[in-house]
Amino acid sequence: MPPESKSWPGKALQWLLGAGLLLAFDFAGRALAASLSLSVPGPVLGMLLLLLALMLYGRVPYGLGMVAEQILRLLVLIFLPATVGIYFLRDLSGGDWFALIAAMVIGTLISLTLTALLLKHLIQRRARRRGDHGQ
Amino acid sequence: MGSEIRNLWLQWLAQLEQVASGFLQPLSATHPLVILPLNIMGFWLALKIYRRTGTPILHPVVGGSLLVFAGLLLLGVDFTGYQQGSGLLYLLLGPAVVALAIPLKQNLVMVRRAGWPLMLGLLVGAVLAPLVAVVIALLLGGSHTVLVALATKSVTTPVALALTEQMNGIHSLAAGVVAFTGIVGAVFGPSLMRLLGIHDERVTGFTLGINAHAIGTVRALEISALCGAFSALAMGLCGALTALLLPVLTSA
Repeated sequence: MPPESKSWPGKALQWLLGAGLLLAFDFAGRALAASLSLSVPGPVLGMLLLLLALMLYGRVPYGLGMVAEQILRLLVLIFLPATVGIYFLRDLSGGDWFALIAAMVIGTLISLTLTALLLKHLIQRRARRRGDHGQ
Repeated sequence: MGSEIRNLWLQWLAQLEQVASGFLQPLSATHPLVILPLNIMGFWLALKIYRRTGTPILHPVVGGSLLVFAGLLLLGVDFTGYQQGSGLLYLLLGPAVVALAIPLKQNLVMVRRAGWPLMLGLLVGAVLAPLVAVVIALLLGGSHTVLVALATKSVTTPVALALTEQMNGIHSLAAGVVAFTGIVGAVFGPSLMRLLGIHDERVTGFTLGINAHAIGTVRALEISALCGAFSALAMGLCGALTALLLPVLTSA
């Protein structure tokens, strides 16, 4: 397959191919999850299958890269319907809201701190070991 | 196995048909031709405002949803009607998750270069982020609904929505929790890193990606391209890892 088509029919064809690949892998992921009765979401399995396929193929086909970039740029729009629903929530008590907000603020600050300190420690330890080998 | 695939196919066709029939309805406030432009306008305006101000608090997730909500109030449309009108966008959720594989593939070289310390940090961070939040909510007496919503707080929204569907959680609550967590991480993350004496941009980026997904990644990109790349990588890997681990942990 040519890496990039200059003419617009070629480009449109590659775009369609890319969009078809996304749909096909979404479907394959769902089919795999359903037939093996896995509890992992189908689209996530589809993503992993596509990642595997791309690693085997060696590079990202031009059309697929184009469609993926467009869809990821519109991500916020795509999940807007789910986000808007938060203003329509009525079945949570005041205590629930308090627990939720406290958990999000404090929990995120704690996990940020712990993750960062752990990563720093691991990277420094490896760097020190490498330094010892060098001497 | 064959019958399951056939069922999936029929399900998908039915969904498509539902969206198509939505367009054929007589024009009303809940018609897709009203709701979809409302969504697009809300998103577009929020993006403009966000680019102008540049504060993570006004991330398009927040601004866009508020604008659309205001529009719905003006039109007098309830949530069910809005969801029906937005059917086309729901169809794109699955392919959007699959599309995350492309940036992941493009950044995979960096995993090999950074090696196992990052992978170990990722594994611990991906478990820690939801666990800390769930424990805090549990101590404060949060209900089951709240705990389920917190379990996906640190993963990127499309993956969180897919997981929520699996766990029978509330979609919009999960999406709201993800957005709020991202904003907390993006607003406080970089100054917290400075306070902890961390100047390695790889660590900052990776930490933001694990804990604050896409919103954190946008913030990381402002620090540097390297920081942003590590954040994007951590976000993708963390999403995939959580999606694999969470269903196993919750069913146990």
